[in-house]
Amino acid sequence: MSQGTEGAGGEVSAASTAVAASPSRAAVRWRWRGAGEAGSPYLLAAFLLGAYALPFVVGLSAGTVRLDSTWFANLVSVLLGGVMQGGVYAMFALGLTLIFGVMRIINAAHGEMVMMGAYLTWVCFFRLGLDPLLSLALTLPLAFLFGMAVQKLLLDAVVGQPELTALLVTFGLGLVMIYTAELIFTTDFRTIPYAPGALQLTSTIAVGQNRLISFVMAVAISTGVYLFLKLARIGKAVRATALNAEVAMVCGIDVQKIYLLTTGLAAALAVAGGALVSIQFGFNPETGVVYTLQAFAIIILGGRGHYVGALIGGVMLAVLENLVSLMVPNGTAMVELAAYGLMICVLLIRPGGLMGVKEA
Amino acid sequence: MGRTEHLRNVALVVAAAVILAVIPGSLTLYLRSFVLFTMMYVVLALSWNIISGFTGYTSFGHVAFYGIGAYACAILVTDYRWPWLATLLVAAAVAAVVAVVIGYPVLRLKGPYFAIAMLGTAEGTRVIATVWDGLTHGGLGISLPSAETSMPTYYAMLALMLVTIVVAYVVGHSRFGIRLNAIREDEVAAGALGIDATRYKLAAFVLSAVFPAVAGGIQAYKVLYIDPPGVFFVQITIAMALMSMLGGKGTVIGPIVGAVLLYAAQEATWVNFPTAHLIAYGLFIVLVARFLPRGLIGFAIDRGWARKGMVH
Repeated sequence: MSQGTEGAGGEVSAASTAVAASPSRAAVRWRWRGAGEAGSPYLLAAFLLGAYALPFVVGLSAGTVRLDSTWFANLVSVLLGGVMQGGVYAMFALGLTLIFGVMRIINAAHGEMVMMGAYLTWVCFFRLGLDPLLSLALTLPLAFLFGMAVQKLLLDAVVGQPELTALLVTFGLGLVMIYTAELIFTTDFRTIPYAPGALQLTSTIAVGQNRLISFVMAVAISTGVYLFLKLARIGKAVRATALNAEVAMVCGIDVQKIYLLTTGLAAALAVAGGALVSIQFGFNPETGVVYTLQAFAIIILGGRGHYVGALIGGVMLAVLENLVSLMVPNGTAMVELAAYGLMICVLLIRPGGLMGVKEA
Repeated sequence: MGRTEHLRNVALVVAAAVILAVIPGSLTLYLRSFVLFTMMYVVLALSWNIISGFTGYTSFGHVAFYGIGAYACAILVTDYRWPWLATLLVAAAVAAVVAVVIGYPVLRLKGPYFAIAMLGTAEGTRVIATVWDGLTHGGLGISLPSAETSMPTYYAMLALMLVTIVVAYVVGHSRFGIRLNAIREDEVAAGALGIDATRYKLAAFVLSAVFPAVAGGIQAYKVLYIDPPGVFFVQITIAMALMSMLGGKGTVIGPIVGAVLLYAAQEATWVNFPTAHLIAYGLFIVLVARFLPRGLIGFAIDRGWARKGMVH
């Protein structure tokens, strides 16, 4: 992706574009090695193995790993919980990867949209007395409209501009959302007591009901969106735009409309994610930032533009986070490192992630 | 740019330096720290501009270096009883080393990937500062031994700002700076012209990391208390980027103007609208990025008020 020309210093570009056609020697050698931008999948696999082994190693040396049956039951519960949490992560990451894939925009306000979903659900639950799952019927259309408004007012103008513009616009939007939420709801942590019971699989292994419900909902919604993108005519148009907006335009696709649809869909996915997160964890207006970074980590791990990759990445991140919080001392603070570490290392080892970059 | 223009710019900087050096005695404590923080943001915005404005690699995690500098200073002063000024050198050295270690791999990434990786680096550094109890005192933060520090920190910040301005100006007008611009415009073509892009990017990155670290150290000694969420605050990165963009990134005067305007505006709104100012700040970021992506200088150039290349 090339950098845009900014203000001063334009005189260099005229000279440099003349030679741009001839690739540098370094680039040729790079291609000759056959590695390309994708990087080595074996290295990535080795890294991931190491990353998953690390919490065990730390746990063993710190004495939090006890190799007895209760500990194993605990481990299995935690792994199951991780998979379920991962389904929800994957769903809101899907929204981020949609926007990034179609418009090459990093939506830094994505986590705030998740946070908004959590508060909308909270309002529905406590003020309107609606069941959190039922309230989705109300909140998702609202979120879709919100996303379309964001696209129309803000993002349309920044598509194709240098990444900083989009980053700042969406970050500013996120700040407005955070502090508006603080004004309305204060910074207190909120929870929604919904299906708090646990489902006993065996006498020692249990899964929270709320997690199971969230997971099922997340899988259903993600599958729906996936099928829509794969099968529906307009879904195919979204994918075509992601591949190459100009060619899509030439083929008669109304790209502006696709952008509207994409951001609407992404906002709806984020808000749905927020609803499902809100019945599992406490939240306050500032929790959104963490979700944004988790979603980044997931789409980078999965490979950007890959919808299935996002699902796998979501589950992988959540499982790793749960392993860390189970075994590493001081785990709750270290959990965040899982996302950042995974993200940076995957970017460096294989920017394409698990599935490889799908370049147009 | 001609010789007379260079001389004019030098005269402007010297005049500003003399004024800023004379006034602190006659300022109230509040105004003195206001000027100090304005100067700090000038340093931060100018430094960010070296890697992100000149070279085009948008760092979305530059606060990492600021935080590292603040911690280096606070730890050495509190736990090892170092004289404060000496710790600033260590802060700069640590930041330079970290910049090389992080920059070497991360600068291979382009565009949004680099931005995200830097964001992750900054957040990761914050978590490390929180977890590494033995070194950083953990999430409770560090209280520095109290002292009357408003004058020494003022002059230290003034000196740092002058050094930063001079370095940014020299870089901006040297072959080095022109090569950075070439990398920004087209890295492959710059490589074809014989520019060792990796080395130049790394040099720019290290330069842009050193000054924020020293600024962080001075700030720690000024405020006498630091904690991880405070010195690794994402919004400091945002402020660097926004100030550069507001003035005009890729220039030297732009970040200076942007930092002064924005910090003053922030202070004024914060005092008058304590609750709404954060929402207004968010809106302001959106509006600047949406309508003024090339900054006030771009705005002036578009209307023919300034010649391209005149204000550089």
